Amino acid sequence: MSRVVVTGLGPVSSIGIGVTAFLGGLRAGRSGVSPIESFDASGFPHRHAGETKDFRPEAVLRRLKPEAWGRSSQLAAAAARLAVRDAGLDPGGSWTGGAGAVIGTTSGESQVVELLVAQQLADGFAGMDPEAIRRLPAERLAYAVAEELGLTGEALTLATACSAGNYAIGYAYDCVAGGEADVMLAGGADSVCRWAHAGFYRLGALTERECRPFDAGRSGILTAEGGAVLVLENADHAAARGARVYAEVLGYGVNCDAGHMVAPDEDSIAACMRIAHGNAGIRPQDVDYISAHGTGTPANDLVEARAVRQVFGDGAPPISSIKSMLGHTMGAASGFGAIATALAIAEGFLPPTINWTTPDPGMPWVDPVPNTARPAEVRVAQNNGFAFGGNNAITMFGAVR
Amino acid sequence: MTGVPITGCGVLTAAGEGPAALAAPAVAAAGAPAVRVDVTGLYEDLPRPTASAIAGFDVRATLGRKGTSFFDRATALAIVACGHAVRDAGLDLETADPARIGLVLGTTTGSLGSTMDYSRETLVQDRPYLVNPVLFPNTVMNCASGQAAIWYGFKGVNATVAGGPLAFLQSLRYAMNALDRGFADTILVGAVEEFTPQAAWAAELAGARPAGEAAAVFVLDRHARADGPALGEVLAVTTGFSPTGGPSVTETLTGCVRRALARANVSADEVGAMATGDLPGETAESDAVTTVLGRQVAHLGVGDALGDCRAATQAVALARVLAEHRCGDAPDGGLTVITGRGADGAVTAALVRGWRDAGTHRG
Repeated sequence: MSRVVVTGLGPVSSIGIGVTAFLGGLRAGRSGVSPIESFDASGFPHRHAGETKDFRPEAVLRRLKPEAWGRSSQLAAAAARLAVRDAGLDPGGSWTGGAGAVIGTTSGESQVVELLVAQQLADGFAGMDPEAIRRLPAERLAYAVAEELGLTGEALTLATACSAGNYAIGYAYDCVAGGEADVMLAGGADSVCRWAHAGFYRLGALTERECRPFDAGRSGILTAEGGAVLVLENADHAAARGARVYAEVLGYGVNCDAGHMVAPDEDSIAACMRIAHGNAGIRPQDVDYISAHGTGTPANDLVEARAVRQVFGDGAPPISSIKSMLGHTMGAASGFGAIATALAIAEGFLPPTINWTTPDPGMPWVDPVPNTARPAEVRVAQNNGFAFGGNNAITMFGAVR
Repeated sequence: MTGVPITGCGVLTAAGEGPAALAAPAVAAAGAPAVRVDVTGLYEDLPRPTASAIAGFDVRATLGRKGTSFFDRATALAIVACGHAVRDAGLDLETADPARIGLVLGTTTGSLGSTMDYSRETLVQDRPYLVNPVLFPNTVMNCASGQAAIWYGFKGVNATVAGGPLAFLQSLRYAMNALDRGFADTILVGAVEEFTPQAAWAAELAGARPAGEAAAVFVLDRHARADGPALGEVLAVTTGFSPTGGPSVTETLTGCVRRALARANVSADEVGAMATGDLPGETAESDAVTTVLGRQVAHLGVGDALGDCRAATQAVALARVLAEHRCGDAPDGGLTVITGRGADGAVTAALVRGWRDAGTHRG
């Protein structure tokens, strides 16, 4: 097994596009939440989301023709382009031969679906636009990355909902560790859509303006979007080209609750943490920081905190949620978590949980890094991702040895 | 070399239930016309009155009423196909460790019917949020794999691969890796696509073949005894992408087939058959396979007989290959190359072996 390192980061987010802006957002505890513009939200009681309003696909993409691809594909491809630039990999260089892309998503091209629905309502099914139908398949998220970067290796879209970014990073890690590829682009992408906003509202899981993970008064998620892609590279390959290394990928864990489609399961999440630790060859006491799934719903955060308690006992490390800043970017969420984790390791700080005012008496062992980024040495970090369907996935990162 | 044993198969298609239906002349004969049934009783608004749908599929009749009322067709088909595969493999879910059983399912968009209907509700109700919260999970693409895991208690790795026509071989690759890395001992791997008005119209308008419907699931068992029963084994799965301006799709697929053979340490003359995604009149994939093998071999593909089963296409192809060994004329222990190509430049290939008598093998 080869060692695998993170050499490039490509965030396309509501708190910043590109690693410098994103890092600045994390350090400042910036909120990316704003009034919804991508669909008419006037009929909803809650009208805020984490939209990437500054995203201009044509400003980032060099090969992909934006008009032929849906928004989620554009977000994935742009994030990958930024990650490759950040990694200092030569565009079109020999590394593209055999390099691959693994992209996670919850709803794929959800805005294309909603366009087709509008056409169906106006003119019946026969009124659906064939060009839109061609943009629909979710497999295109990974293909958009491969097409944008000219990659000839594996291109795979994993649709394991809100932990899909971690699924993608885990699988890409295996590809590099096992010698299938020297370079893999991995992460996630999703777009804000009306039906998810409605669904989360009706589940009672949507908050109004401020996402407040681990706060006693937390009341839900904010729907959000973005593209989050990392360059995972064979450590020797990276060293040979003198690449800057953010962190090492130590391993990952995946399992399934097999209990409830929506409600998280403490024991199953704890089991997933143990699987991840075992796969990474580390012990709970080695972990200096946890990037939480931390959606900000009463149920998720309590279950997550209890699972942490189960695995870490009294020695739980600080656990913060960047969803307080970004909202819930769905399939991109654990991709953003991985980027934040790699930056925490490389830059020596803990991203904060913003909007935090009141400790939850039900989880006194939680240190959510309230409101302000904190300097810290992070040697080993854990990045949690959970999902509808009970699809848990946790990635582990470490400082370069 | 020895691959990963396939110990069970569950398949439902327009041709009927079970692998044997796929080896029947109505499907297996070269150039067999599409198996079509009257679907006007299923939905009102369809582009055509007949389709390659699974006639008479009734969720409640098959799975009972309890807990099934909100299942969409894709979810129900996946659960039924998993059940058939489990029974075919003789997998005892009472004694097996659920944490060591995984599930990997291929799809294109999840249930397009569920998702479009849900989105539609946000536009037609008095308020956009007056949607049914119970149906919300049906809009996520991992609904079928999540519900099947709940139904059977599979607590190991659970993944959904969105790969359209390549989804099954991509799922198979994902599953092989997960077994290899120790995330599970047994993985059910398959793919499902449902027939709905949305799927039918999308195919019609995009100029694709008429939408079909299928679910096929296989049991992979890393630790199946070398002399234990198996339908076949997966020796290698490879994949590649042909970006604009890069190597052609044919070159990329040729490379995939070569790598699959090399990985399995199998020479071209040992391969006796191919199952490609070529439709009648197309030769892009079979040309690539023939280039590598250096000769013509038998075609075991399903061709156009079952409509466009999208993500389930390659799963149905594997079911047919195994059926040809199990109850047809394909030779015991024979090797087949399965291939596929997508619309955007992605290709996959797999090398599989089929056994005649699942009860007596092997070495």
